[in-house]
Amino acid sequence: MSKSNRHARIAGAIGASLALLLVACSSDSKGAATSTTAAPAASSDIPVASSDIPVGSSDIPVGSSDIPLSSSDIPVGSSDIPVGSSDIPLGSSDIPATDALTTLGKGEGELNIIAWAGYAEDGSDDPSVDWVTPFEKDTGCKVNVKIGNTSDEMVQLMQTGEYDGVSASGDATTRLIDGGEVSPVNTDLIPNYADVFSQLKLQPWNSKDGVPYGVPHGRGANLLVYNTEAFPTAPDSLAVMFDKTAAGDAAGKLSVYDSPIYIADAAIYLMSTQPDLKITNPYALDQKQFDAAIALLKEQKALTTQYWSLYTDQQTALDSGTVLAGTTWQVIVGLAQTDGAKIAAVKTKEGATGWSDTWMISSKAKHPNCMYMWMNHIISPEANAAVAQWFGEAPSNSKSCALAAAGFCDDYHAADDKYWNDVWYWTTATAKCLDGRTDVKCVPYSEWVNAWTELRA
Amino acid sequence: MERPRAVSESVASTIESARASASDRSTPAIQLVRLRKTFGAGDGTVVAVDDVDLEIDQGEFFSLLGPSGSGKTTVLRMIAGFELPTGGAVLLDGVDVTQRAPFDRDVNTVFQDYALFPHMTVQRNVEYGLKVKGVGKAERRKRAGEMLDAVRLSGFGNRRPTEMSGGQRQRVALARALVNQPRVLLLDEPLGALDLKLREEMQGELKAIQHDVGITFVFVTHDQGEALSMSSRVAVFNNGRIEQVGSPRDIYERPTTSFVASFVGTSNVLSAALSERLLGVAAPHTLRPERIRVVDATHVLDDHDVAIDGVVDDVHYLGAESRVRARLDDGSVLIAAVPSDGLAALIAGQPVRLAWPRRAASAVIESVVQPEQQGENQ
Amino acid sequence: MDVVTVGGGGAPARVSRFFRRHRKASLFATLGGPVAWMLLVYIGSLVVLVAAAFFKIDSNSKVTTDFTTANVKAAFTTGSFVDAIVRSVLIALAVTAVCFAIALPMAFYIAKVAKPRWRRSLIVAVLLPLWAGYLVKGYAWKSIFTPDAGKFAAHKGGGFLEATLGWTPGFGKLAIVITLAYLWLPYMVLPIYAGLERLPPSYLDAAGDLGARPFRTFRSVIMPILVPSIAAGSIFTFSLSLGDYITPRIISGGKEQMIGNLIDQLQQQNQALSAALTLWPIAIIIVYLLGMSRLHAFESV
Ligand SMILES: Nc1ncnc2c1ncn2[C@@H]1O[C@H](COP(=O)(O)OP(=O)(O)OP(=O)(O)O)[C@@H](O)[C@H]1O
Ligand SMILES: [Mg+2]
Repeated sequence: MSKSNRHARIAGAIGASLALLLVACSSDSKGAATSTTAAPAASSDIPVASSDIPVGSSDIPVGSSDIPLSSSDIPVGSSDIPVGSSDIPLGSSDIPATDALTTLGKGEGELNIIAWAGYAEDGSDDPSVDWVTPFEKDTGCKVNVKIGNTSDEMVQLMQTGEYDGVSASGDATTRLIDGGEVSPVNTDLIPNYADVFSQLKLQPWNSKDGVPYGVPHGRGANLLVYNTEAFPTAPDSLAVMFDKTAAGDAAGKLSVYDSPIYIADAAIYLMSTQPDLKITNPYALDQKQFDAAIALLKEQKALTTQYWSLYTDQQTALDSGTVLAGTTWQVIVGLAQTDGAKIAAVKTKEGATGWSDTWMISSKAKHPNCMYMWMNHIISPEANAAVAQWFGEAPSNSKSCALAAAGFCDDYHAADDKYWNDVWYWTTATAKCLDGRTDVKCVPYSEWVNAWTELRA
Repeated sequence: MERPRAVSESVASTIESARASASDRSTPAIQLVRLRKTFGAGDGTVVAVDDVDLEIDQGEFFSLLGPSGSGKTTVLRMIAGFELPTGGAVLLDGVDVTQRAPFDRDVNTVFQDYALFPHMTVQRNVEYGLKVKGVGKAERRKRAGEMLDAVRLSGFGNRRPTEMSGGQRQRVALARALVNQPRVLLLDEPLGALDLKLREEMQGELKAIQHDVGITFVFVTHDQGEALSMSSRVAVFNNGRIEQVGSPRDIYERPTTSFVASFVGTSNVLSAALSERLLGVAAPHTLRPERIRVVDATHVLDDHDVAIDGVVDDVHYLGAESRVRARLDDGSVLIAAVPSDGLAALIAGQPVRLAWPRRAASAVIESVVQPEQQGENQ
Repeated sequence: MDVVTVGGGGAPARVSRFFRRHRKASLFATLGGPVAWMLLVYIGSLVVLVAAAFFKIDSNSKVTTDFTTANVKAAFTTGSFVDAIVRSVLIALAVTAVCFAIALPMAFYIAKVAKPRWRRSLIVAVLLPLWAGYLVKGYAWKSIFTPDAGKFAAHKGGGFLEATLGWTPGFGKLAIVITLAYLWLPYMVLPIYAGLERLPPSYLDAAGDLGARPFRTFRSVIMPILVPSIAAGSIFTFSLSLGDYITPRIISGGKEQMIGNLIDQLQQQNQALSAALTLWPIAIIIVYLLGMSRLHAFESV
């Protein structure tokens, strides 16, 4: 047998055995690990928050903080896609609690965090962009960053218990809090917390029962981006995304954010186009409202050319003109404009979804002191200004603007409370309606996931 | 050998039409005219076939004999059309076919590795040539069946080639070629892969089939015994050239070159100098070992005998006969084949006298390249 | 001790004598390790995967230990999932067909036409793209396919195809098939090349000798002998394409979803359903492998 012959035979043998598992393993390598993760032990006590910051209710339209949580079983039904959530009682008694730290000790010398790309820069992407190294020098905590690509991935990583903390968006925080993955935060131990915009404090996505579960990092709104050649007069309505006529040249060339949370965008549009659905909060949709949103999204499919999850994908499409309108982030707009893309962006008059990220500490943190020091550091005016400018979002610390480039805070409306009034920050939908309704059950996020997957298939 | 008479008759009838058309016996079946083939270019050029001229008559069993690498296969492949000559021409029945593709030539080949198609049954292998030519299914089946009968393989039609022995495969290959009733059958060492006993059996069988069908066989072999026993004529190849063409008897008994002498059987070649000393003729001579006797130093020579003294190098016992190697005073070696009885005294280092009839040595032309003493152990 | 040492020979001799007497034991000793590893890693992970399909997921996307068949039922009855499966199978078959159509002449040229000293370089050339990053190749093709958006684009002209041919398949299914075919082509070329390499040249001579013209030789001799090699190659192209989820995402911008995309998406959000959907490709691949083994794909490679 010749040499190449023998090689081919070996390749064949390996190939044959691999072929069977290729598909099987390619997309579920984590199946084994997580399926054995023990469910959190139920514990009944909710720790009394040591924070003395008053529960600030505001005019932000996500006003669920003052609604009493009931612990009754809330059955969820109607879609044929199974979600095990229906008979799991939601409610405070099920939240496994860990007490918040009462005193800050010495750093443990190490810190393992999960962060969005760009949230924990150590100078390796750009030597001038570095707020990790100063932290390491100051505290002696060596920082190991694990980049989380999606909220779902972050939740999954937190469930492993291997990490001290995470920069979680609102569509992940509820799951982390209710799942017992994170602990309440004693904001007394975080001096910079006092300077955080009050509009961001103790919100549904970063607190529970008036107890803070993390520190606000920054915020942004999901904007409508459009090609200035295709829209000589600037659009100001979400209709561009959902209505063929309004889309004009952009019909069939829309770019949609590829996540179940995007269902809320459809809900916001329905709030103004179908008032009889009586949607008051895009994250609190009963079955009828939810079905209407899904129906709208199905129609939108025909107008769409791209479902993006990697921001560079949308950036390229905007550059090449293959996408003429879409849901976007301010940072993409800046990057594409630098490339020469003929685009502009606007927050639509119907309002917009947005995000407000929160640094949270794991209930199983092995380095809690370092994590507290990190939470204080990352919202310090210096670091907060640096992150906000690097990532392209509004800083959470009111003192950051003084340190940021001239005009930056204006561009991002950092201190413009009114701007944020109609921004619906990403929040995890739960069976218990977030808008306070008790006569109906709302569709929980796990149903959103299944509906989105089915829609996209 | 238990080959029934009826078998060869059936082969004969199958091939009858071929014979009929080949009635013009005066035109040679194959003519090679200054045929030349080189491989490669520049420094690495190999001259595989070096200006060969050859005529093979109708109905001959013609062997191409020569050592490995002497160009036999290349000549055969040029006749079949698998290889285009670098120069010269190939004529079949007087027609120049040099530029024709294999499928346009009325010759068929039995390959050294048989080249049976592994994905076809034996039956379909044999039918393949007919099918390609558009012969109808019933006719095809009938003729293939007859041909398998002829090679004693009836009943094996549904087997795959891999399920057959070497000898059986060889016969399938033969049937597959013969069923097409070619004017010429080319066989490239068809018995090379068989063990000795089977080879001898197939030698007889091939010869009988050739005799019965009467078509021209061109048979490549490097086994001189095979060539001598089967052929009507033999061409001895050496280094891309033909050294001698002749009947087996001519080749064996009257080799014209030193190469043929030593390649066909075992011959001693006396150098020109030695020949002059002993025979008075300044040309190389060959001398068959069996003509040499080992004699006493006291032995009185006849007038027509020649003798020379030497020292025994080695005695090789072969049963009834032994081979004695003796080194002569000029450093050359002579081999004598002598009856084993009466040799008990001969040991290495012993002086000895060798004698032979003057007529036993015949003059030859000195070949450029000598074979590597290859007949020695045969 | 005494009993064993009867006959002497020391420990090594005793061991070898033991194995000579107990063939099965010797077989076990040599193959036991690898087989156990196979069972544990391959079969084990498969079992875990299948089992995961039957777990319930709680409202925080956590896998619980409660049993349910609802995931599997949903995976196999939901219309849009079945659509995605059909789409994936069709794409995988199309990729396999394209790979075959390109690989056959390519392999034939390398194995039978090209000068032997060029062969090695040509094979290396075929394999070379395998060293390049998967994502790099995906994005490169995306840029090649980019249509010219005229006045809407930052830079005029579109991608390579638009610039040279004035035509592009855009970012649809055709573009996905082309990209996947490019990615997996070497896996089709190699087995066919190996098959041709093994094909004795005398078969081709024999066919010609028996009167077959080149095309007939190709059809009646070369192709049938190559069937197992082609089947082996198709196992690679088919299963690699069926399971792919990165190429459709990159090329179609997430618009064309293959089964792998659904599995990938759900694997973070609803692992049980993700696992249940995985049963589809597993079943399809098993059926495919059984079909290919009937064509002797496993004996010939
Ligand atoms: N395709 C080829 N390319 C290069 N050289 C070749 C080729 N075929 C044959 N040769 C060379 O031509 C010479 C004659 O080869 P050929 O096969 O005709 O010898 P042969 O007499 O059949 O030998 P054997 O008894 O070993 O089969 C040899 O030196 C061989 O190396
Ligand atoms: Mg030869």
